[in-house]
Amino acid sequence: MTNPFRTSTAALALGLGMLASGAYAETVVDFTVAEYSSKTGPYFQKVADDFTAANPDIKINIEVVPWDTLLQRLTTDVAGGNAPDISIIGTRWLLDFASQGVAEPVDGYLTPEFKDSFIGTFMNPGIIDGKMMGLPVAASARAMMVNMDIYDKAGVAPPTTWDELYAASKKIAELPDVYAFGLQGKEIETDAYFYYNLWTHGGDILNADGTSGLDSEAAITSAKLYKQMIDEGLTQPSPTNYTREDVFNMFKQGQLATIFTFPMLIPQIKEEAPNLHYKILPFPEAGAKATYGVTDTLMMFSDSDVKEAAWKFIEFAYQDKYREEFDLGEGFLPVTKNVAALDHFTSDPDVAGFAAGLPYAKFAPVIANWEEIADVTVRTLQQIYLGDVTPEDGLKAAAAEINKIRGL
Amino acid sequence: MSRKLTRSLLYWLFLSPLVVVILFPFGVMFVTAIRPRDEIFTYPPTWGFSEFRWTNFSEMWVKTNFGGALMNSIYVSVLATAIALLLAIPAAYAMSRYRFAGKGLYRNFLLMTQMMSPIVLVLGLFRLMMAMGLVNDLNSLVVTYAAFNLAFTIWMLQSYFNSIPRDLEEAAWIDGASHLTSLVRIFLPLAVPAMVVAAIFTFINSWNEFVLALTLMRSSEDFTLPVQIYAQVAGRYQVEWHHVMAGTVLATVPVAIVFSWLQRYLIRGMALGAVK
Amino acid sequence: MQKSIPLLMIVPSLLMAMAIIGYPILDLAWTSSQEVSRFGKLTGFAGWENFAEVFGDQLFWDSLWRTGIWTFFVVVGTLAVSLPVAIILNDDFYGRGLARVIIMLPWSVSLTMTAVVWRWALNGRAGLLNATLMDIGIIDQPVEWLATASTAFVVEILVGILVSIPFTTTILLGGLSAMPQDTYEAAMVDGASGWHQFRYITLPLMKPFINIAIVLNVIYVFNSLPIIWVMTEGGPANGTDILVTYLYKLAFRFGQLGKAAAISLIMFGVLLVFTLLYVALVSRGEEDAAPEDEKEA
Repeated sequence: MTNPFRTSTAALALGLGMLASGAYAETVVDFTVAEYSSKTGPYFQKVADDFTAANPDIKINIEVVPWDTLLQRLTTDVAGGNAPDISIIGTRWLLDFASQGVAEPVDGYLTPEFKDSFIGTFMNPGIIDGKMMGLPVAASARAMMVNMDIYDKAGVAPPTTWDELYAASKKIAELPDVYAFGLQGKEIETDAYFYYNLWTHGGDILNADGTSGLDSEAAITSAKLYKQMIDEGLTQPSPTNYTREDVFNMFKQGQLATIFTFPMLIPQIKEEAPNLHYKILPFPEAGAKATYGVTDTLMMFSDSDVKEAAWKFIEFAYQDKYREEFDLGEGFLPVTKNVAALDHFTSDPDVAGFAAGLPYAKFAPVIANWEEIADVTVRTLQQIYLGDVTPEDGLKAAAAEINKIRGL
Repeated sequence: MSRKLTRSLLYWLFLSPLVVVILFPFGVMFVTAIRPRDEIFTYPPTWGFSEFRWTNFSEMWVKTNFGGALMNSIYVSVLATAIALLLAIPAAYAMSRYRFAGKGLYRNFLLMTQMMSPIVLVLGLFRLMMAMGLVNDLNSLVVTYAAFNLAFTIWMLQSYFNSIPRDLEEAAWIDGASHLTSLVRIFLPLAVPAMVVAAIFTFINSWNEFVLALTLMRSSEDFTLPVQIYAQVAGRYQVEWHHVMAGTVLATVPVAIVFSWLQRYLIRGMALGAVK
Repeated sequence: MQKSIPLLMIVPSLLMAMAIIGYPILDLAWTSSQEVSRFGKLTGFAGWENFAEVFGDQLFWDSLWRTGIWTFFVVVGTLAVSLPVAIILNDDFYGRGLARVIIMLPWSVSLTMTAVVWRWALNGRAGLLNATLMDIGIIDQPVEWLATASTAFVVEILVGILVSIPFTTTILLGGLSAMPQDTYEAAMVDGASGWHQFRYITLPLMKPFINIAIVLNVIYVFNSLPIIWVMTEGGPANGTDILVTYLYKLAFRFGQLGKAAAISLIMFGVLLVFTLLYVALVSRGEEDAAPEDEKEA
């Protein structure tokens, strides 16, 4: 009952593999790729094929892993002693990898010209204790997106401050079938949706002394503002059941006037809701300007036996034509200067809208146990949104818990 | 005759809420899989849609490498089932026909192997497969699934074997047949219904298993169906719900067909294997 | 020689189970006593430190409590539905084959996929559950089922019951159809009512099957990750976390592998104690019952 086809091809492959290894030593580089969209896998496979065509002695073995399970997979891989040679990771995990000696510093490999091809802002989050622990591979910044049709209908202008956003939302809430403000309250990046608010109120995730900034005046004010907007019906009902994707879907359907979002949404809107009349604007302010810069990192594992070959592939994959295809295909902001200078990224108002915030972009702090701290934050926010605790009590407790996790 | 009719109506009436709840997710699957993409998020949501978009299925098939995953799932499930049966039959026979020291212990050991969620064991299993050189190899799933399903398969077969009268074998022995011959010629054919049931159990568990397949299979060409479909949902910036549902429908249909086909075996096997 | 035959027959399966399941359990036990780095490197003996950390964690106790509720309601609910369903399916009626296939259907979908479909169906705005309920007029506003822990947990328990029904019904159905027909006929002659027949004949004969269904379901439900993980990831505000979802987060998000190993062992211990107690209770019950049977005979 076994599948004879499979067995025979496996045997055949084995035989061929032996022949091949007899002919010349083949180097295999294992590359774990995070799956951003259905385009990610095929894209990297193509780059790998091109590379092997140019370097027949090196084979790149691409493993595409869904984002949600990437950290689990890498943890298991490393714990089992079977780490890949290179991998895309969330930069927020980088410190854990670096402090455990899992990540290989890349300074020794990075030629000055190669290093100079990157945009400095995106290089910084990858520097730990003065060493480059990886290269930025994908980047995005966040901004506000408004549905101009709804704003026009309500007779209000898109806001630049939180007060204006609140006032405009009040007006919009009177319209039928639409909600003024899309608030995310479930799963990945629920905390980010709050940080946008926190930062623009002048607060921060960590205070200067490294303690949690969640019990600051700014944090309490921003949490109260979200809660008030929920209570007054200015958001969609029950935000704790809305993931990032759910909120964005409502926006595409024209049911939300205002959301906070990332550039990757634009290709989706163009394809699915081409008639949506939207505009990209900076986050509303209340004393401070901010956006959230998010990068992913291409990391090399210190256990790798084929670092030279892996690096050769990395340099190959960072050629402008590949970076351009990647950034355009996935809707990311460019991390290299040459691609950033391309027409599309300078003249397109959408991309420019997102890129505008980069000079004052905030990044997630590079600290240990970041996922756990984010989890505490998300839990507290959900309790506040649900009305289980007051913003003051909830955030104070959360700050204390985070300080404990941080060992402060 | 009319009594049977009233009874049937009564029974169906009683079952109807459950039937509705059971069929509901299948309806959701199908209706989402078949509608045009831009009608997925309409509000208020409706069951109706403008046209049957069968191309969703063919698009999904290509995009998610469905065929490859299907072959992987079949390979793993069939082989795991075969190994589990092959190991379980002698064990169950021994437990049913012989008295020996440690029998109770073995039963308890089997029960204990069921108490560990595979998720809990993922790290250890991964280290084990590393040592055996089976990572990135579908065969690691084959042996793991076989092992995790051994306990249930042995219990099932044992209780079924208990119900097969010893006289038949003993008669054969008197006729001069060896134990082995009597086992193969007389005993096993009688045990076929139970083996079918045990096979179905193992097959379905293997077919549907997710966590281990996710952890042990490295490259996407080795993914089994549940992992392949889940990859369409997990953490993407955007979920193609119509493709996800189309994949689920296609992954479900073969099993559902096997079910309706073997369903009478299933019950009969359970029935005759009166757990004693 | 004769003595070694049964052992020889058992050895292959024993070896297999020992290697594939036994080894990881030992690995786990060892890990739980060690200080473990973010990526599973053992960095020194920790003694009971991992366990102490677990016991000092409020989220652990909350999850333990919720695991109890989850397991109890799913198993009891499943039995409460499966028993009458099995009795019906065992009787002769028009369309029985179809009914049996339908009841078994949830089995043919992987748990993970079932959970994905339900999550989609429960989507507050685009979900078809709200659409259906609004169409038939049960609700007039969409309900966000997964927005609060209380409704989310109830929904998850219901889905848990639904997916456990096929397995349980199959076991019970097996038991029912194995039941000696003459016992019933005797009861009919005696003029026993339906309820009496059920209470004094069916139920006692079904006991071993019900017990098996309970033990296995408790084990499976207690350890079941996909439904809760896919639908809410234990949220909102950890309000639907059970031990296994909490453990998954600890191990694979927070990288606290030592603590996670300790929780795994605690879970194993809880199940072991439950099963031993249950088996002991059941066999004592059988001993009590045995003399009565003899009297009747």
